[in-house]
Parts: sequence; structure tokens; C-alpha cells
Amino acid sequence: MAYDVDNPAPVIEPPRARTSRTPRKFTPGNFEMHAWLFMRLSGIVLVVLVIGHLLIQLVLDGGVSKINFAFVAGRWASPFWMTWDLLMLWLAMLHGANGLRTVINDYAERDGTRFWLKMLLYTATVFTVLLGTLVIFTFDPNIR
Amino acid sequence: MATPVMEKSEAGAGGTAADSPYITATFRIRRFNPEISDEVTWQDFQLEIDPKERVLDALHKIKWEIDGTLTFRRSCAHGICGSDAMRINGRNRLACKTLIKDISPEKPITIEPIKGLTVQKDLVVDMEPFFQAYRDVMPFLITKGNEPTRERLQSAEDRERFDDTTKCILCAACTSACPVFWNDGQYFGPAAIVNAHRFIFDSRDEGGEQRLEILNDREGVWRCRTVFNCTEACPRGIEITKAIQEVKRALITRRY
Amino acid sequence: MKIHKYDTVIVGAGGAGMRAAIEATKRSRTAVLTKLYPTRSHTGAAQGGMAAALANVEEDNWEWHTFDTVKGGDYLVDQDAAEILAKEAIDAVLDLEKMGLPFNRTPDGTIDQRRFGGHSRNHGEAPVRRSCYAADRTGHMILQTLYQNCVKEGVEFYNEFYVLDLLLSEVDGVKRTAGVVAYELATGEIHVFQAKAVVFASGGNGKFFKVSSNAHTLTGDGQAAAFRRGLPLEDMEFFQFHPTGIWRMGILLTEGARGEGGILRNKDGERFMEKYAPVMKDLASRDVVSRSIYTEIREGRGCGPEGDHVYLDLTHLPPEQLDAKLPDITEFARTYLGIEPYTDPIPIQPTAHYAMGGIPTNVMGEVLADNTTVVPGLYAAGEVACVSVHGANRLGTNSLLDINVFGRRAGIAAAEYAATADYVDLPEDPAAFVQGQVEALRSSEGTERVTEIRKALQETMDKNVMVFRTEQTLKEAVEEIASLRKRYKNVSVQDKGKRFNTDLLEAIELGNLLDLAEVTAVSALARKESRGGHYREDYPNRDDVNFMRHTMAYREVGDDGTESIRLDYKPVVQTRYQPMERKY
Repeated sequence: MAYDVDNPAPVIEPPRARTSRTPRKFTPGNFEMHAWLFMRLSGIVLVVLVIGHLLIQLVLDGGVSKINFAFVAGRWASPFWMTWDLLMLWLAMLHGANGLRTVINDYAERDGTRFWLKMLLYTATVFTVLLGTLVIFTFDPNIR
Repeated sequence: MATPVMEKSEAGAGGTAADSPYITATFRIRRFNPEISDEVTWQDFQLEIDPKERVLDALHKIKWEIDGTLTFRRSCAHGICGSDAMRINGRNRLACKTLIKDISPEKPITIEPIKGLTVQKDLVVDMEPFFQAYRDVMPFLITKGNEPTRERLQSAEDRERFDDTTKCILCAACTSACPVFWNDGQYFGPAAIVNAHRFIFDSRDEGGEQRLEILNDREGVWRCRTVFNCTEACPRGIEITKAIQEVKRALITRRY
Repeated sequence: MKIHKYDTVIVGAGGAGMRAAIEATKRSRTAVLTKLYPTRSHTGAAQGGMAAALANVEEDNWEWHTFDTVKGGDYLVDQDAAEILAKEAIDAVLDLEKMGLPFNRTPDGTIDQRRFGGHSRNHGEAPVRRSCYAADRTGHMILQTLYQNCVKEGVEFYNEFYVLDLLLSEVDGVKRTAGVVAYELATGEIHVFQAKAVVFASGGNGKFFKVSSNAHTLTGDGQAAAFRRGLPLEDMEFFQFHPTGIWRMGILLTEGARGEGGILRNKDGERFMEKYAPVMKDLASRDVVSRSIYTEIREGRGCGPEGDHVYLDLTHLPPEQLDAKLPDITEFARTYLGIEPYTDPIPIQPTAHYAMGGIPTNVMGEVLADNTTVVPGLYAAGEVACVSVHGANRLGTNSLLDINVFGRRAGIAAAEYAATADYVDLPEDPAAFVQGQVEALRSSEGTERVTEIRKALQETMDKNVMVFRTEQTLKEAVEEIASLRKRYKNVSVQDKGKRFNTDLLEAIELGNLLDLAEVTAVSALARKESRGGHYREDYPNRDDVNFMRHTMAYREVGDDGTESIRLDYKPVVQTRYQPMERKY
């Protein structure tokens, strides 16, 4: 297609430019701040939890070969380890989900895409967290 | 006054016939003219030029002597008006503050418009979204109560607190270097946050709370990923990422 | 073509334009047309400060400031205007502070002040601290602060709208302001702005010199538009050369550097200003210092292999002081010269800096059509205007003051006029001139290039109309400019497009520069005396008998279409101060 002075080619606009009509306020309250803070704090806690978890599971006391049903059952007999794993599950899932949420916010250009990707993310997160929690609390060491 | 110093500062500046200061450099410029084509092209220009000259001098040489259609903004030519922010060898720079000798002129020097804003012609981009973000942070002194008859008092320390961010010339080098901004033009961007910082930390200002609320938004400071591209790009040497972090801290502690 | 209607239209968004806009927007429906984004304006390049007799650090009063302004202007200053300038300076600075300008502070928390060229205690006794400053970025801070307040007031800006013509309509034999015509850079479209009041605040015209501290965009568009419409230009022969521009580049190094204790030295390391100005030394007024530098260079005491510059020496100042008070200019030296100002002196030469002359106005900012008649609805402020508060030589820090005091006055006066006046009918086919000009350039097949003519113009101006002038050099300049104007008629541009056609823009700007260069040279040729910034080697003394008067240059078009410049003169307003010999 030919373009000339009076028939210029279209220019390529960047995604979601700010205009005077850009809504001034999307998120009431301090959600974004709390999400940001949560990422930092959960990150620090997760470093301890995950490294501890890896040491116990994979390094100390014979390493990975010791792991079997009895080992897991033994640990979950103690409320301390139940809490540890529960905390690790929740924090890791929320930390990861929030990270993905920001990635979606950054890269999904259309509002619709962003909405459905986030819905998918939230569904997956809720499902995993609930399932994990259920397993930890209802674990029965005597099943055969 | 040491005489030897004079000799030193003279070296190479005069340029005798024997050793010409000129070098041949290639400038690879990203061209776009919607009146001709919707295609973007890269065009090479070879210039005989003194490496101590500015990239802006090279652009002028091209425009004035080779191709008058080359289009770019410029005004003061010494880094205080902020017209000529562009991407030089992949980094956001002011063309008038970048000397050719500092950007390895032996290889082709690439020049392209800043990213994240609509390219309108060659190196000219639409600055409106950038200034809209600036206007949206309420970049002006907000005070309550009666005006004093004389000046408002401010200690030298309080003045120093926000000195760094008063240097901003709104050239958009920082904002258009920010990867978050590239993907989401609604993000306020570093420049707007810098200008909010300038008032939030001004002891005379009483609108800090309002400005913090604005920047608490989804498109506000929490989108900053501390990439440090902005700090690297700033031609005024403002520690932008630090300023953004200070705004975040102020939001969490509500102390500023 | 689009037609817009506003009460007040302000042309230019530098210091004066935005100061006027802040006032006018509160009082009338106002539009600001600017060929640059407002924060790109060259007010931002001003460094040193803004004079006001606040007396925050030592005894001072506005009367001394008035005297210094009058004396600095070599008594060509209209003294009633200078008095207003000095008196309103105090409020102008305080207003800016209240708008949020981050001035440097004294230990008490008040606005700090420093010394500046030509500002003295008690009528010339010793330098006084009168310049209110924000490091060496005072202009930047003023520009930003004014823009911030324009955002606050919701000023309506038309960015990158280049005003090319002033519309005057004759009503009952009186020329009245009807509006302006602007060219939209982004689209190439022509817009007519009908307005009751128009304020020109479009800045200077220093780009007709080669070594210049002026931005590429300072091409005297306002002066040229007014001049083309038959309005006079006042005192155009007076052009200020700032003593300390970076050698060969012309980038400004503030007088504040000398205010902080910097010293000028020749190749022998001698502090040569002691010879020329025993009291004020390096802080004598700018015309004196610039001439002294060139005298040193001519007498073979210049530095470098070609002996064509001198040094600004800051090496004796503590680095902390340089960092705190002069951060930008030390950075310029590092960036552009590769010199470390802590240890090395900076090579400098005088650089074309400021046009004292311009569109004549009275103290209300109203533009004059001759020595006394006001053009209803037309105002001017800032460097484009000549009030005249700067006379034959402007004092450092008085220009930032000028834009604030007279920008404000013009803004208020224009809006108040607009509140009572009616629209004047636009002339028939209002955009005809601009359309013709733009189309002719765009379609021209001429062989002349803008670059070459501009280069020749700048070279002849630097050679012939600089710090030292003689009958012969000025005649040479007049002839050269005339031939360049002829060549300009045959100029063509390469870019034939409409969008962002900066090639076309530069061609139009060159036309304006040529017009103004001619006025400058012709006015200078006729002034057979030396006064302030105008120094004639063939007439080295001031001649108060014959030349204590302002030059008024008019464009005359003969019946056969030939253009010429007619010179007339206007008396100087003298109130308190009788002319004295000027010594620093």
C-alpha cells in the first residue's frame, strides 16, 4: 500500500498508553503495598524453610535414600513439622502466585487476557493450597 | 596557577594539520516516515568527524549536509533542556551530552528513538503519555493555611533532602528505559515518581499524603522491579531507583 | 486551517510566558502556544541567580539595585522601569519561593544570596550579595517551578505550535490585535488563534552568532513577526556577550563562578581584570569583562596555541564549594572539555548571550507602535521585549528577574484588557501570509541551502558585529546580510512532508534571523558612540549629547516592493540618576 503526505501510514502505539482518561485509581486500600511487603517477608522466611527442608530431606542422615513412607509419616506425627510444611506450602504458593500475578500484569496487553489468565492462576493456587492443607491435616499414617 | 596545566588542556584541542583529529564513523539511524512507508528502516551515514564532538553534532551534520529529512528534537545542546533523549548504542542518552569518542566509534553507532512511546517520525516520539503521568502525580507545592508574608523557612538540611530529584529535566530517558514501562504505558514511570519524590520530601509541602496515595496505586511505585535502568540512563545523575525506594519506604512507614 | 478563539493567547512558554500564563489563566480563557515543550525553553539554561534586594545576608535595598541596573545599562535604561524592576524583585522572588522554588538557604533558613557582576553596595562601593540562587541551576528551577504551577492552574498548552504571524486589524484607523497564526509541527496544519489579547514571550535571537550560549531554537520569531507587521524594534544593536562561555562551544559558565571567587587569568597567569576594573575586578559588568578578555587576546596574552581564549580559574576554591554551589558547570567542563575544574583552569571565551533590544513596551508590557502609541491588545515580556530595563547592557541575574516581574505584569494586563475588550474581526484570509510562506518553501526548487546561508550569516556576525565594531565591519555586515537575504529567496528544503518538518522550520527560522541581523547591523552602524554592549572602536566614548536615546527600527516597504529599514529615536526616561562615567 502506498503512503504519501496526505495519507500517512498508521503509527504503532505502545500497549496501554497513559492518557488524561486513564483511571486515577484502580486498587483501593493498600493491597499493592501489602503484596509487595509480603513478597519480601515471605521470601526471607521461605529461604529458611526451604533450605531447612532440603537439608533434612536430601542431605542429613543418609540423604535422599532414607526417604520413604515411614520417614514422612514419622515427621508428620509431630505438630512442629506439620506447621513447618504447612507454612512452607502456603508461603511458597502465595509468593509464587503473586509473582505470576505481576508477570501477568506486566505482559498481558489486553484486559480480557489479563483477567482470564489471573482467574486461571487464582484457581490453580486455591486448588493446590487447599489440597495440600487437606493432606497435611488429614494424613493417616496407618493407611495401607 | 600552574603553567604546565595549560599545556595539558591544550593537547589535542587545537588540531594541527599533521595529525588530523577527524575520524570516520558510521551512524546507523532508525528511520521511520509514515508519509513514505509504514516500514522502519535502518540507514547508515558515514561522517568525517572530530571524536570530541557530540552525537548531536553528528546528527546536525547529517541533517544539514546530507539528508534534510532526518528528524529529531533538540534545543539547548548542552544537556539541560531534555529535548534529545534517544537510544544510542542501545542505551538511553542525551545526544548533546554524549561525545562520539566515548561510544566506541570504530563500530557503527546505532541511534534509535526512545522506547515505549509512539514513534511519530524518525527519532521523534509522542511525549504526551509521559507528561500525562507527570501531571498525574500533582507535581506542585501544596500548602495549607495562610501564606507567610516573607519566604517559608527551610533549613539547609531540609533543602538538601530532596536536592537530587530537583535536577530532573523531564527528558524521559529514565521512563523509556524502564522495562515495566515498555510493557505497560500506564505505569507512572520513574520520571513521574522522581517528581513526586521532589515534593514528598520537601519540608514545605503538605500534600505528601495525597501524592503517596496516588503512587500506592497498581500503576504506582510497587511496579518498580529495581532494575536500575533508570538510574543508569539519567543524564543528570539522579539516583532514581533510590528515590523510588524512598517513596516505597515512606508508604510503608508513613514517615517522610 | 483551524480557527480557535481565546481571550488571551500567550506566545512562548519560557519563564516570561509561563509567568504570564499563571496570571492570565486565573483571569481569562488563555492558551499558550509554544514551539517547544514548555520545559525545553531556554530559561532553564540560566544558571547564576535572580537579583532581589532581600537583604537576607547583608544590608541592601532596592534603590541600590535600581542604581546598579541603570549604571550597568550605561544610562540607556528607562529609569522608571528599572525602579519597578528593583522594587518588585523582592515580591517576585518571594512569589517563586511560595510557588515551591527550592532556593539555597542560609543557616537561618531564609533564601541565600551571593555576589554577582555589577551588583554593588551603596552605589558602587563594593560587591553585594543580592543574587538569590539554587546552586547553578536557578533558571532550571524557575522553569520547572513555573511549569509545575501551570499544571496546578490547568494552563492550556499547545505544544509544538510555531507562531509565524501576528494578526493586526485596522479599526477606525488604529491597528488592533486580532490574533496569531501558528503552524502545528506534528501535522503541518495551520491554525488561526483569534484573541482579544496576545502576549509575546518568545525569547531571544542569539542564534545569528556562531559562538552563542543560546539554544538552537532562539531565532527571534516573535521580534521578526512583529517587525514584519510594521511594529518597531528597539535598541537591537545592543547585544550582550557573556564573558565566560566554554571555548569554541559557547556553552555558558555562570557568572556565579566568579561570584563564588573564580578568577580570570591570561596566559601569564595574571589576574588581568584588576587592570580594567580595580574595584569590582572579575565581577565588573559583562560588557566590560568581555571587552577586557578580547583586549587581552588581541594584545597577545591569550592562551593556547592560537592565543584565542583565556582561563577561568576555580582551582583555588575547595572542591566541596564547587560541588555545592557550581555542580552543573563543573560537570560541563568535565563532559565537554575533559577537564577537571578542581585542578585545571577552564578555557573560556565570550559568547553571544542576550539581546537587550526587542519589541518596545511600556512598563505594563503593552507593545508600542511608535514612541508613544500603544497597540491595543498586544503585550510582550522577557527577552523578546525591550522595556527597557537593561539599556545598553544587562546585569547578570536581572533577566530572570525581568521575566518574572514583567511576565507577571504582562499576563495581568493582557487578561484584564481581554476582560473588557471585544474581539477584533480577523483580517480577510488571515492565514494567507503563513500559507504562502510555508507552501513557497515546501515547493521551492531553489538551489540555496539553509545550512550555508546560516553559516555565512553566523560567520559575518561573529566577525563584524561582535564585541568590537567599526564603521567598516558594520558596513561589511550590512552588505553581506543583504546578499544573504537575496540568496535566501532562492532557498529550498529537502523535506517536502507535513509531519514534523523540522527542515522547513529551520528555513523559516533562518528567515527571521536574517531580518533581525539586518536590523542589528543597521542600528549599530547608525550609533556612532560606544555604550554598554555596543562598542565602536572608531567612536570609543559614550556620546550623551547625540546618542542618549533608544534606537527604533521600522520596516519600510516601498511602492515597488523594496524593503528598507527606517531608523527613528526615542528619548530615555531619566528620573533619579544623571549619567556619570561608568567605572567598576
